[in-house]
Amino acid sequence: MVLLEARNIVKCYTAVPAVNGVTFSVGPGEVLGCVGPNGSGKSTIVRMLTGLIQPTSGAVLSGGADIRKNLVGYREQLGYVPEEPDLYPFLSGWEYLELVGTLRGLPRAPLAKKIGAMLELFSLSAAKYVAIGTYSKGMRQRILLIAALLHDPTLLIFDEPLSGLDVTSALIVKNLIKSLGERGKAVFYCSHVLEVVEKVCTRVMIIRKGEVLAYAASAEIQERAGQSSLEKSFVHLVEERDAARTAQDIISVMRAA
Amino acid sequence: MSSSESKLPQNGGQRREQFTRLMRHSIERLMNGGDESGELDFGIGAMLALLAIPGAFASVAASQSDEYFFIVLAMVATGAVAIWKWDALMPDRRDYVNLAPLPIPGKHILYANLAALLLVAAALGFDVNAASSVLFPLIAVSSHSSFGYLALFFVTHLFSVFLASMFSFFIVLAILGLMMVVLPYRLFRRCSIYVRCGMVAVLMVMISTSFEMSEIIQHPSLGSRQLVQLLPPVWFWGLCEHLRGLTDPVFGTLAETAIVACVASLALAIAASAFGFRRSFGKNSESIANFAAIGSVIRHKSQHRTRDLFLRTPFERGCFTFALKTLFRSENHMLIIGGFAGVGIVLASESLFQSATAGSANRWPSAALLSIPLIVLYMLLIGLRFSFEIPVTQKGNWIFRLANPDASECVGLARKIMLTFLIPPLFAITLPAYSFVWGWRVGMIHTAVIATVSMLLIEFLLVCFRKIPFTCSAPHFKSNAPVAVFYYLLGFIVFTNLVPIIERRASGDPLWYLGFILALTGIWLGLKLYRREMTRFDNQLIFEERSDIGDVNIQVLNLSWGARETEEILRSGQRDGY
Repeated sequence: MVLLEARNIVKCYTAVPAVNGVTFSVGPGEVLGCVGPNGSGKSTIVRMLTGLIQPTSGAVLSGGADIRKNLVGYREQLGYVPEEPDLYPFLSGWEYLELVGTLRGLPRAPLAKKIGAMLELFSLSAAKYVAIGTYSKGMRQRILLIAALLHDPTLLIFDEPLSGLDVTSALIVKNLIKSLGERGKAVFYCSHVLEVVEKVCTRVMIIRKGEVLAYAASAEIQERAGQSSLEKSFVHLVEERDAARTAQDIISVMRAA
Repeated sequence: MSSSESKLPQNGGQRREQFTRLMRHSIERLMNGGDESGELDFGIGAMLALLAIPGAFASVAASQSDEYFFIVLAMVATGAVAIWKWDALMPDRRDYVNLAPLPIPGKHILYANLAALLLVAAALGFDVNAASSVLFPLIAVSSHSSFGYLALFFVTHLFSVFLASMFSFFIVLAILGLMMVVLPYRLFRRCSIYVRCGMVAVLMVMISTSFEMSEIIQHPSLGSRQLVQLLPPVWFWGLCEHLRGLTDPVFGTLAETAIVACVASLALAIAASAFGFRRSFGKNSESIANFAAIGSVIRHKSQHRTRDLFLRTPFERGCFTFALKTLFRSENHMLIIGGFAGVGIVLASESLFQSATAGSANRWPSAALLSIPLIVLYMLLIGLRFSFEIPVTQKGNWIFRLANPDASECVGLARKIMLTFLIPPLFAITLPAYSFVWGWRVGMIHTAVIATVSMLLIEFLLVCFRKIPFTCSAPHFKSNAPVAVFYYLLGFIVFTNLVPIIERRASGDPLWYLGFILALTGIWLGLKLYRREMTRFDNQLIFEERSDIGDVNIQVLNLSWGARETEEILRSGQRDGY
């Protein structure tokens, strides 16, 4: 069964579409990586997938049905980590997770146990009663990750989940995403870190200016692009500028009087 | 999907728990704000305690005829809180990001928020009026009335002031909701600050005229004064009098109006916020909150040259631009300065009113007339000085830390910001106005006097200043705060009463000017010496305010804190020897 499907979705904020005719699907046990340069439409796709915004045309389906028909039911099975950790600064980490868990309808006693265990595993125990306003970006990101996992969702959407994480936490999350896929969860993973995408994703979608340039397994993309890594394939497909040349130009401007 | 469906709240109990948690969350958001910038943000305990104080103090010296004043006080205090919490009254972008992806229908978020607003309004209404409801009847009527009348007085007073509070809160909420319904999001954000400032001005005019209104409405001819009957506090006063059994039909009409107004404001607030929520909440993700810069972006070379004459160093230029943009773009800062300036205008207009009724056709204006610009400027400068202490996105202050300026540069910068607000009204309003009425000689002398004493006031205000405006954490409640308030009041009396009297005297005897100039020079030199000694001792800039025992007190008042945190604070206070 396909847990998440985007069928020819288009999103227009202005005359130029931010997302233009994107189609893909994610089934159980699949980790779909979504990569693209800044402003390519990744976050807009994610917001449409979570139902936060409505496509101008096309549809997002779950189990074959439009998510709009039963948004609450769809969100029951969804775990979502947004790009920006915009949390309530006056709540403590524990209070935030307790709020999310309660609103998800999780029973109180198991919820408290789960939160405690998760905070321990994500090395946030010491700061669990401290206001989120004082947390670092990495700590907030870990709170968001816990909030997305608390209810054991079947579908996970991660938008730059490694942003701000230290090396250890990033390694944990990398392994976590892989394991989630292996345990039958459907994962949609948006990132700029191509190396991680290459390692954890079963399929990769490369987008530019709102359109899909490639959608296949990483090895297949490399083969078609005739490159030895996903990074090189990405540069080959997406980048219009020579990165080394641009770096030299920047240094020239820096030196200019 | 089937496995997840079992996690949906199955029974009413779970749904109730979910709703209660959402409502609690809305209350916490309302009480705690949501700003990470470290700007003014009171905890619930501190806020409720502060709101209860005016009613308690006012009751001590009250008489039976002050009922109207207490109704106005209730409306002003509750309305002021609603205006202050304007941005938190309805779910915002952060709520959308955090709550929308959860399996909760949007209408539940709206209902929970409305329920939270009703609870908070009721709690505020009770808190603001509790002290006055007990003390006012005891002090005003207990000595010459029976227990029955005392009880009636207590109940009718509580009912009237509580309803007045509710009306004030719901009107602010209704205005917010209507703006959300009518205006596009960006225009709504832009207009908000002006609407809020306007409402603050209305509240201040209401409180400043309440004593005079108390006398007007007691007059037997109230029934014939249609305009007075249009004022909302008069409705609630009429309700109170009607409930106390006064048979004048005008009280009956006013009471009816009060009840209808209260119900209508509640209905309007609920409807407007529901439609506003429907219109804006779903669109939050699509609206990008990058507001266009205020003012023109076109800069001419001549402007740069003028600026460079006034601001000598790159540090001053950078920080000056930052400060002005903060003052004109930050809603909190605009509200603070607008509030202080508004109080100044109200006090000055009272002075003008008194002078006008007394009649003053001399060749030199009276001390009351001379004091008008001094009152406004005093409040404006105090407001500016106060606003310097309120940070804007404190986490961004690293850029100023890296600039490594010394304290004297910062004093110079703050002085120039204050002068920027002082000079234009002085030369654009005071000089032409006084010159037009009393001639150029009077206009120029008075402007020179105001300029001199204002600059001295600026030096006083900046004597211990070692900060870059808006970059240091907000000051904690200091144990010496009452002393500071006393000094500000003393300064107000000297600045707005003593200076005009001396100036008036000097108009007849120029030797007074000599003495005045000598005194000012002496004070200025003394201040300069004092600051030199201070900076020799410590020239470090402050970016983080340290707390003292007062901070412990105010945190303890914050009831939203847990017992553990409170204990820790108290322990640390004891460790530090408090």
